[in-house]
Amino acid sequence: MKIKYFAWVKDITNHEEENINSIQIKNLDELKVFIIEKYPTLKKHMEKKILRFAVNQEYIMKNITLKDNDEIAIFPPVSGG
Amino acid sequence: MIKIQKKDFNSEEEINKIKNLHSNVGAVTSFIGYVREENDYKKVRSINLEVYKEMAYKQFEKIISKANLNWKLVDSLIIHRYGKLNVNSKIVLVACFSSHRKDSFESCNFIMDYLKKDAPFWKNEFYNNKNEWLTNSN
Repeated sequence: MKIKYFAWVKDITNHEEENINSIQIKNLDELKVFIIEKYPTLKKHMEKKILRFAVNQEYIMKNITLKDNDEIAIFPPVSGG
Repeated sequence: MIKIQKKDFNSEEEINKIKNLHSNVGAVTSFIGYVREENDYKKVRSINLEVYKEMAYKQFEKIISKANLNWKLVDSLIIHRYGKLNVNSKIVLVACFSSHRKDSFESCNFIMDYLKKDAPFWKNEFYNNKNEWLTNSN
């Protein structure tokens, strides 16, 4: 599955996007655990529930099952307009 | 009409292009957002706007659909820029076209509120000696 990062989340991960081996990751909660392990600096932001998640360009607020070809985006609160 | 682009736009021309497509537009309400010169007592040099383009198009379509459910709109227009923008540059144009003013006033406000909350853009604001990622307050 593809993970995209934006704004200061991208600064922390140093990636605009990455493909990850999705065998071990079945849902969004498991993905969050994976991301925190890989990028410990994101842990405090996850715990404060600051970050937003989108799966296939739709906002997701709850834990959902993920598929191999999903595109997941992780980003801070938006500041457009 | 939804446009997500780097280049600047002429608000009047863009509004007229849409208005001239319809014969029953009696009211147009528009909002234009600009890059401020100062933010929180800090002098702004420029901003860089990042966008998740595919999602931005989807969110704008969703916003316009919701507006159409609540108001009688003839048409609507959203233009949002991204990339490096200098101070006083236009960032966004939202225009709502209707037969009567109530629908255009209220829908324009609604679309802007929604855009500020959900449109996947992020402003990185540059000052003299540092930069800061902004968050919208609702």
